Amino acid sequence: MELVYDVSGSMRGLRLSSLFTLVALTGSAGVALAQQPEPTTRQAAIEQAQAQKLEVLHPYIPSRGERLAARVDEILTNQGRHLHPFLESAYSGGSFALGAGYIQHVSSYNFVDVRGSYSLSNYKRVEAEFVAPRLFHRRGELSLLGGWRDATQVGFYGLGIDTSKEDRASYRFKRPYASALLTLWPARRYLVLRPGVEWTQWSQEPGLGRFPSVETVYTPATLPGLGADPTYMHTQATVGLDWRTSPGYSRRGGYYGIAAHDYNDRDKAFGFQQVDYELIQHVPLLREAWALSFHVLARTTTDKGRQVMPFFMFPTLGGSSTLRGYTSLRFRDRNSLLLQGEWRIMASRYLDSAVFYDAGKVTARRSDLDLNGMKHDYGFGVRFHGPFSTPLRIELARGSDGLILVAATSAVF
Amino acid sequence: MPTSSFVRSRVRALALVAATLGVFAAGVETQAPRFYDDDPIAREPESQDASKAEPSPIQQLYEQVYGLFITSDVKPSGTRAKNINTIDEVPDSSWFTNRIGTTTVTADEIARGPIVGPPPDPSTWVVIREKTSGAHPGFTARDGRGETWFLEFDPPYYPEGATAAVEIATKIFWALGYNQVESYLTTLDPKRLQFDPKATLPRPSGARTPFTMDDINQILERVARNKDGTYRVVAGRLIPGKILGNFRYSGTRPDDPNDLVPHEHRRELRALRVFGAWTNLTDWKAANTLDALATSNGRTVVKHYLQDVGSTFGLNNDLHEWDLSYEHFYQTGTMWKRFFSFGFALSPWQTIDYVEYPAIGKFEGDRFDPRTWRPQIPMQAYVELRDDDAFWAARRVLAFTDDLIRAAVHTGEFSDPLAEKYLADTLIKRRQKIASAYLTAINPVVSPRLDTNSRLTFENSAIAAGVASGAVTYRAAWALFDNATGQTRPLSETQSTTTTIDAPSGLPTAAGTFIEVSISADTPAYPTWKQPIRTHFRRQNDGWKLVGLERRP
Repeated sequence: MELVYDVSGSMRGLRLSSLFTLVALTGSAGVALAQQPEPTTRQAAIEQAQAQKLEVLHPYIPSRGERLAARVDEILTNQGRHLHPFLESAYSGGSFALGAGYIQHVSSYNFVDVRGSYSLSNYKRVEAEFVAPRLFHRRGELSLLGGWRDATQVGFYGLGIDTSKEDRASYRFKRPYASALLTLWPARRYLVLRPGVEWTQWSQEPGLGRFPSVETVYTPATLPGLGADPTYMHTQATVGLDWRTSPGYSRRGGYYGIAAHDYNDRDKAFGFQQVDYELIQHVPLLREAWALSFHVLARTTTDKGRQVMPFFMFPTLGGSSTLRGYTSLRFRDRNSLLLQGEWRIMASRYLDSAVFYDAGKVTARRSDLDLNGMKHDYGFGVRFHGPFSTPLRIELARGSDGLILVAATSAVF
Repeated sequence: MPTSSFVRSRVRALALVAATLGVFAAGVETQAPRFYDDDPIAREPESQDASKAEPSPIQQLYEQVYGLFITSDVKPSGTRAKNINTIDEVPDSSWFTNRIGTTTVTADEIARGPIVGPPPDPSTWVVIREKTSGAHPGFTARDGRGETWFLEFDPPYYPEGATAAVEIATKIFWALGYNQVESYLTTLDPKRLQFDPKATLPRPSGARTPFTMDDINQILERVARNKDGTYRVVAGRLIPGKILGNFRYSGTRPDDPNDLVPHEHRRELRALRVFGAWTNLTDWKAANTLDALATSNGRTVVKHYLQDVGSTFGLNNDLHEWDLSYEHFYQTGTMWKRFFSFGFALSPWQTIDYVEYPAIGKFEGDRFDPRTWRPQIPMQAYVELRDDDAFWAARRVLAFTDDLIRAAVHTGEFSDPLAEKYLADTLIKRRQKIASAYLTAINPVVSPRLDTNSRLTFENSAIAAGVASGAVTYRAAWALFDNATGQTRPLSETQSTTTTIDAPSGLPTAAGTFIEVSISADTPAYPTWKQPIRTHFRRQNDGWKLVGLERRP
């Protein structure tokens, strides 16, 4: 039997200076051991080596890498997690946002998350959320959210699909909000119901930045709701069928849902209603090495009587999850239609690539939501993902406005 | 441990390590014998008390990341296994017990496997805590007699699959020589479920709070249920002794004095690459192992278990993903190949036709290639497998006769006899693929014997297994061997076209003398067989005894 003493375990964590000490010590230890009698049997030889190891036993000492991984594991699995990164901006087009949150469990599963972010465009977001994820024997999740956002230079390019990117103006809004959103899975899977209510107060201000502010370009007569500061009681209800692996990452399954929103203005001036129709379908091919993924999202709005829907509440297209070849909020009108198709290629369990095509339009009239006159883009992207989430998505998209580089921390759909 | 004393202990450790190596080197200088009188040993001694060994949990994320991104790129060292005896066999130890391939194992013994105690009493189950390992849904409970068991269920769409896999694989790996958990198929009736007042479960808050029926329901909602409302479960008996956590597939336990051989150089751990391929043990990782203190010959030693071998065949806690067993979770080459070809460069797993048995999952034998089989995460022992290790392992796989395989599969208690037959047939097919790949890759001469009439006989295991054929010329190079110095003096070379070769005249007859015989096999189809196996025989009063065998890749 050949025997080699395990050096690797004992070496772990030893400093270089100690190695020099070792060189000095090796000779004397060797002399001491050399005085032991030569074993005469294999068994004795092995037992002698075991007896020598007995002298240097020590508990296992995790390496620096193991300790680091343990910390990362704690964060990923939310074990004892308190501080966490928060990278969501206050609003679309806010540029890269950096922030942090602090989670405090208030019971076994329920927790409060206080978080805030600040973006390169000076967007600010501060909010606190209480989440009860296991209501009704794991058939429901309740989110109570309160916060405040400041978006300093929200893009506005005019209404309709034929606007020019050269016509960008900007506006600023601040809004406090408080909401309650209950998500229900009556059968624990597939069927999703999501009722919710939100109070929010919009406050418009002149936009910052290098683009002209909207009030210098438009008037209340040419832009509905310009200068309005409505206070909404927003109620919503969603019903959907969801059989994806996860909304954050899926190569099979689908989601079909309808969401109805009612925005009730306290002053009865800017109330409206909105209905969202959404369809997502993933079609796996070649044993899920490919997936053809499709997304349809139609948004329609209706004024309430003589009330006027303000422009900043109009559905929009453009940005990292809609028309990716266009800047955020590039197109805006009372109704929108978005069609997206992706050919996703699973390179590995952690990396997908995708070739995609987006088409969409915004219209003043619901009846104009057809396939004519749509804006298109196409592109290629890579996604770093886990089994249930997409922490990083980088895409290059080309639309009629030019090339856009997209970096996002969520799945496109 | 304070830093200074820690460093001092490390320096001392290294000094002793270096000194130990020095003693071995000095042994050569002082002409220590190549073979001791007790060679080949049949059991690895465990001479020291290991009762001070402490639990050392594995950081699973680290293990996964290290395996996928570091170990996967490590070139094998080419080091010969270090826990083998002088005739190239693995002695019994706290890791391994020679069973099939060494001794006769009957179908009844296979069916019994590691079981020594009575089955669980399912009249009541008292929940005491969560399951401590594995991804299968389950929990820990006491049976009607108060004995502790780990209960695991089947995935909802694959009834019988996961529980049968545990049961069958446990029998197979026990026969192969590994320490296994005693397991039984039994039932759980939720109506007879009780909770120990002290039963708790860890929560996201970090606190442990009482185990509730809702926790059980959360498990039961995700598993297969019998028509009568009960659940089929596989119950694993609590391993006796103090639990020390998982063992690593590299290095040694620094707190176990008897653990001398780095685990990546233990042949039985390297051989899991072959046994894993045969049974499709894709979830081969440290987290599925367990060390526990046990008493052996009145001494406390660390006993090493393959605790969870249930991710075998075509299921684990659910249906295997398509690429499992063909790719690691992350594999640079195939990733870029698919990336740059937009997925048009197909991988083998994309074109395999699987036979659909829900209780078996994605498991087949026609396209199986043991050399391209991959576990989810490569371990260092997986990397270090050499052809001589694989040859050793393949002979053990081949020792499973059709009847033994069917006996093991029958313990899965499949309700569909066609599924049972398919699984056994597939294991038989894969066994032949294993034999074909590994018995032919290296000189397959085995069991050399030198009789008193100076006739050398042996067997060709590849031809005996029917995985090689054709005329073979065997050559034996004979030499006198000085056991004290390791020097040889050539005598002559003899050859034969059969597996019997006459020795040259003039072999020593004095007891205690040694000869070296290098046996090669010459056949055009297998050029690697020309690499001779080197054998050593010691003359004893009653004839020649094989004391050395080295099979070089």
